[in-house]
Amino acid sequence: MSKELTYSQVNRDVMRPLFSPSMAWHALMALVTVGLAYGAFCWGIQLIWGLGVAGYHPPVFWGVYITTFVFWVGIGHAGTLISAILFLTRSRWRTGIYRAAEAMTIFAVMTAALFPAIHVGRAWQAYWLFPYPNQRQLWQNFKSPLMWDVFAVSTYFTVSTVFFFIGLVPDIAAVRDNTKGFVKKMYNVMALGWRGTDRQWRHYMAAYGFFAALATPLVLSVHSVVSWDFAMADTPGWHSTLFPPYFVAGAIFSGCSMVITLMLPLTKLFKLEAYIHTWHFEHLAKLCMFTGGILTYAYGTEYFIAWYSDNQYEWGTFTDRVFGKYWWVFAMMVACNCTIPLLWWFKKVRTSFVGLFAISIVVNIGMWFERYNIIASSLAHSFDPGAWVYYTPTYIEIGILIFSFAWFFLWFLLFVKIMPSVAIAEVKETLRPPLKHDEEAAAK
Amino acid sequence: MEGLNRRDFLKVGAVATTAAAAACTYDYKVPQEEVLPYVVNPENVQPGLASYYASLCNGCATACGLVARNKDGRVVHVEGNPDHPSGPGLCTKGHFDLVAAYGPDRVPGPTDGRSPMSWDDAQKKVNDAVAAARAAGKGVAWLGKYRTGSAAALLDVLESSGLRRVHWELLGVETLLAATASAFGVDELPVYELAEAHTILSFGYDFLGAAFGSMGMTKGWAKAKNPAEGGFAAKLIAIEPRLGISSTHADLWLSASPGSEAKVAYAIASLAAVAKGYSGPATALLATVDVAAAAAASGIPEARLKEVAETLAGAPSVVLPGGLGTASADATELAVASLLLNEVLGNIGKTVQFGRGFRPGRVSSFADVKALLDDLSGGKIGVLFLDGVDLAHVAPAELGAAEALAKADLVVQFADEPNDSSNDKTLLLPTGSGLEGWTDASTESAVHVLGQPAMVPLQDSRPLGEVLLAMVKANPPAPVAPTTPPVPTDAPPTESTVALAAVVPSPVDVGALAVAAANFGEFVKARWVATLLPAGENAESWWRGVQAKGVYVTPINGVGAAWVRTTAPVLGSSAPNNKSLVLFSSHLGDGRWANVPWAQELPDPVSTYFWNTWIELHPSVATAMGLAEQDLVTVKTDKGSVTVGWFGSPTVREDTVAIVIGNGRKTGRYARERGANVAALLGATTDAASGALMLSCGSVEISRAGGAESGVHALCGSLTQEGRPIALAVNPVDAVEKLTGEPESILPIEHLEIDERVRTAGPVDMYPEPGHPTYRFATVFDTNACNGCGACQIACALENNTAFVGPDQLRKGRTMVWIRMDRFFEGSGENPDVRYLPAVCQHCAHAPCEGVCPVLATYHNLDGLNAMIYNRCVGTRYCANNCPYASRRFNYHTWQWPESYHLMLNPDLSTREMGVMEKCTFCVQRTRAAKDAYRDIAYAERTSADRPVEITKHTVPDSALHKLTACAAACPSEAITFGNWKDTDSKVRKLGEQPRAYTLLGELNTKPGVRYLARVNHNMPRHVAEGHGAEGHGAEGGAGEAHAEQKEG
Repeated sequence: MSKELTYSQVNRDVMRPLFSPSMAWHALMALVTVGLAYGAFCWGIQLIWGLGVAGYHPPVFWGVYITTFVFWVGIGHAGTLISAILFLTRSRWRTGIYRAAEAMTIFAVMTAALFPAIHVGRAWQAYWLFPYPNQRQLWQNFKSPLMWDVFAVSTYFTVSTVFFFIGLVPDIAAVRDNTKGFVKKMYNVMALGWRGTDRQWRHYMAAYGFFAALATPLVLSVHSVVSWDFAMADTPGWHSTLFPPYFVAGAIFSGCSMVITLMLPLTKLFKLEAYIHTWHFEHLAKLCMFTGGILTYAYGTEYFIAWYSDNQYEWGTFTDRVFGKYWWVFAMMVACNCTIPLLWWFKKVRTSFVGLFAISIVVNIGMWFERYNIIASSLAHSFDPGAWVYYTPTYIEIGILIFSFAWFFLWFLLFVKIMPSVAIAEVKETLRPPLKHDEEAAAK
Repeated sequence: MEGLNRRDFLKVGAVATTAAAAACTYDYKVPQEEVLPYVVNPENVQPGLASYYASLCNGCATACGLVARNKDGRVVHVEGNPDHPSGPGLCTKGHFDLVAAYGPDRVPGPTDGRSPMSWDDAQKKVNDAVAAARAAGKGVAWLGKYRTGSAAALLDVLESSGLRRVHWELLGVETLLAATASAFGVDELPVYELAEAHTILSFGYDFLGAAFGSMGMTKGWAKAKNPAEGGFAAKLIAIEPRLGISSTHADLWLSASPGSEAKVAYAIASLAAVAKGYSGPATALLATVDVAAAAAASGIPEARLKEVAETLAGAPSVVLPGGLGTASADATELAVASLLLNEVLGNIGKTVQFGRGFRPGRVSSFADVKALLDDLSGGKIGVLFLDGVDLAHVAPAELGAAEALAKADLVVQFADEPNDSSNDKTLLLPTGSGLEGWTDASTESAVHVLGQPAMVPLQDSRPLGEVLLAMVKANPPAPVAPTTPPVPTDAPPTESTVALAAVVPSPVDVGALAVAAANFGEFVKARWVATLLPAGENAESWWRGVQAKGVYVTPINGVGAAWVRTTAPVLGSSAPNNKSLVLFSSHLGDGRWANVPWAQELPDPVSTYFWNTWIELHPSVATAMGLAEQDLVTVKTDKGSVTVGWFGSPTVREDTVAIVIGNGRKTGRYARERGANVAALLGATTDAASGALMLSCGSVEISRAGGAESGVHALCGSLTQEGRPIALAVNPVDAVEKLTGEPESILPIEHLEIDERVRTAGPVDMYPEPGHPTYRFATVFDTNACNGCGACQIACALENNTAFVGPDQLRKGRTMVWIRMDRFFEGSGENPDVRYLPAVCQHCAHAPCEGVCPVLATYHNLDGLNAMIYNRCVGTRYCANNCPYASRRFNYHTWQWPESYHLMLNPDLSTREMGVMEKCTFCVQRTRAAKDAYRDIAYAERTSADRPVEITKHTVPDSALHKLTACAAACPSEAITFGNWKDTDSKVRKLGEQPRAYTLLGELNTKPGVRYLARVNHNMPRHVAEGHGAEGHGAEGGAGEAHAEQKEG
């Protein structure tokens, strides 16, 4: 860095996209609109004609939708991990990236939350999953892991969102001070009357720490609960006590990769290199290497236990994953999650733009296939060989998968347009405070 | 609004509202219906309660009795008539016939070419055409399916006034009938009583499927196979090139080179004669048999033939003739040889009975059909009546049947919907379903089945008998002088003729009865009274009794017959083909059920294919040809070729190509463009001995065809059970010996070698088992008696309004039938060991599905059912994922049916909309109705006697539960038993505690309400007493590895 950053420079740099988003932003937004339109068309068809337009092949009753649901919930892990856990452990490298990561979390959960409604047979009655007062005194089954899911995901979403907005308060106030008119009013509301007084700072930091502590267990719980959708079932390949830690590790793995995938272009696009360094990405990559290692270990454990248990159904499922018709899914999963990320062990790879970006995308693909592998191949190869099938998704399911990405990026792009994607206040904490003689020197 | 008072305002308002409502009325294809209650309720009709009518099944020529369930004016279900000698149960055909009654393609009334006409005009047109043909010196001919009973009697009358009659069916009995005549000089078919046979040898006879009289044989077979009934388990030996549903249960499969079966049969007969020390009238014939030549021609070593002969000679046995797959040029000789075997083994009069007048009425051979076609082509036939034979579809294509039919001046077709034999000139006379008008039949001289109407006709149809009656009346015959019954004078009366004379009524002047009868129903009654009324009975009360029972049976015992055949057989000596073509029939029969969507949808038991035509190949052949799963195969004979999909089955010889018949029709909304017509491959060669068409064993070539995907799909996902304990089998000795031993299952419930301490502690439950205060409904499936026929599946579909989904959806496995028929090839070579397992919802007490439903749409009720609340279901499908038995069905769409099928829906339960889960309910509507009925009885008793009613009086008696569910009621082999597990004396409990009973995937501790009885297979190794050891595993597995990978091949 040729020149030392100043507070005003930080404000200018971070807020630039808010006032003049580039052509690239508009182009991406156009792409997102197309994706949304296509996905909405697919979903419309599904609502009219029924779930049959998807590729479901009984007894594979879950497929791309639940795969994508778990994928997005998993993505939604990194943000809170980075913002809350790394805050509590005082890891300095979170500063530059946690805002965008947190936003990613919320939008990923918002995306995931679409899927229960998309995947149920009668989407118009999906609200029955919520316990709401009704005169028929209908109640939910709290034994069902899907019910736990509803609570886990909605709790996680609520807490993450509150935490996100709390973190935003000082920065929004900064934005507010640089806007006028209606926009200013909007930021004014979101800034919650922030003036940056000592008293406010004291309360603010206490609240922030409190919410970080509240969010931390949720990072671990939400994906554990999601994993129980599978682990609580008796289907071979699902029924495993390994699932909660395995899923959490996988979620962090995929989430951190997604942060890399999102932040690298963002940094380039909005010229935030001064705030988000290769150093940040390297840390993320290291986190990925760590969780990826856990994941690889978990894969191995799964196979070991399947063999060691001498349970022929389980062993049958696991051998079928490798040698059956779904071998390619398994190969994708192992290649993308276990093998290719090993390249990050080379410092050169994990510090280069291409090395980081390409492998992070590979990991994202691999993690999607991991869920697909778990869901489709287990159901397609369950207890009774008479019911063994092969499930292939249709264009509708692919369309809705695309829709989910478009939906996610819609929110993310809106976020970078209206909110500072780097935590201004926290970045400023790391800088030398502006002193009077500096200003005088600058004036000269 | 000056001057508008309140009344005017209301008037204007009312008019405006009505107009608006009328304008908004969406008159979209929904006919305006009027719902009117009964003003005066007819006696014994209570709206909402079903009426039951005993009637006749018109599904095939066998003439089984059925009971039609009429609900609010429509027959919604049919079941077997327990008063009929073939007993309860009804095969698939009977159910298809019900669906056909509601077919959307049924013509609304008589149709001349394409235009409708009135019955009077139609009848006049027929009479005029007959008169014109006679005047022109042209023939009047009848080509129809087999007919017995009053319609056949009327045909006899018409025949006497010059009607030329040909009664032929593709899956007919002409060869067997010719063989009986040749062998015993008897003009009737043998009745095979299988129940007492320890060994059953079949040369491809479809005795559990399409064969004439299969219902009775199915019952006998199931009985003979049940070690708990007679103390033995019958051994089935199959000698045929391809195993079908009648022979996949074979304990020994000796596949003779296609076409050599007759030689093999003669050889076994000669060997059996030695073993048995036979010295009867057939000795001279046996002396001509060359065993060594037969062994050489068939490829079966002489020693094996000798073993078979000795097995047969060792215990009571029965030898069954050939079937469609062995219908070679020697088919008649094969049937003769099978009878010879029975003669040699001393089975005649015991397991093979004559003297019962068993035949489907008049039987013509295909040679007669050919002669008729020649005359048609020659313009010699003026009027042709077509009755139930779709000649243009089934006759070999080279005969050009369709063109020949067009040459007649008038073709009168008795059919409810046009078929391939119809053309623009055809006069279509809809005869309606057998359930809509009077029919009767008698295929045994002692068994007469009355087909009384069970509902008013859905269209303007008239029963065939009605039309025939009008034809007789239009040309009344001269009265017949009474004669004495003919007594054979040249031969001494045999047992058979004496028995026949006792029951064959003295001739009645049918013509006179017909002229006197006002309608066909009256004619039937008059004829029955004239011919069958026992001496001293009041005609009216007797008739009422017959109507109530639907069947009139006079006691008659089968007798033997004396062997008369002396001429040595002349058997074909052609060299074996490189590949031989073998036909087989599946659910569609000869194609008559091809326009029944539920029939198309019912998976073939062996391949589990549907909605298509396919060939069966040996997997090794497919591998050698490099066939991929979706490849099309061109099947070519010297007559023509078809291109179809394929199935690799280990139950086909390597030199054999088996092809299914029935599809490839040109007409019918569900039949057209489905598969290929096998008639294109057939030549018109007939067997000289019987005139039967040589259908199988001709030379064929197959080659891989490029192009599109074949679209075949197997509903059963795996060829074998991969060593998993799903469909189990035991050795018969174990089954019998253990019956008297400890009351514990000889089959391993847990497949794992778990710790002894855990085993003694038993499975641990986290939750208490749900309470079942009075009932724990349960079903036992005897897989030993199940041959995969599919009757339970179609009965379930009709009872429970489950939809057909069509080929595209079914290819994605989205069947809605609640019973999945698993089929596993567990054996290889001579031990085919094909196992069928009807998998339904197991109604687990610890149901994995119940816990995971987030909205409690499925729950356990007090009767032990996993109940489903359709309206509460959101459609997360978690329950289905968590069902280890994969027995839940999801409504991926709102399945569409033509309007006409709505009338067939069972009003006792709803149809399901898109997005909800459904599954077997143990016919909850039936159990609920039964409970209500018996509770009402109990309450009635209480009020009269003013005392508390014990619980036993509340409950439905066990006898009323056995066959309460639709599947149990339908199963022809009575393999399904329903009942209350809480009742320790119930049949279901006793069966379910047999040693060979097991619960499916019992180690999951789901505590199912369904139990299975393991198959009894003579090739299974003996079980070791320790129980769950290595030999126990032998009981589950099988030599499945040979087939495990062929699907990929």
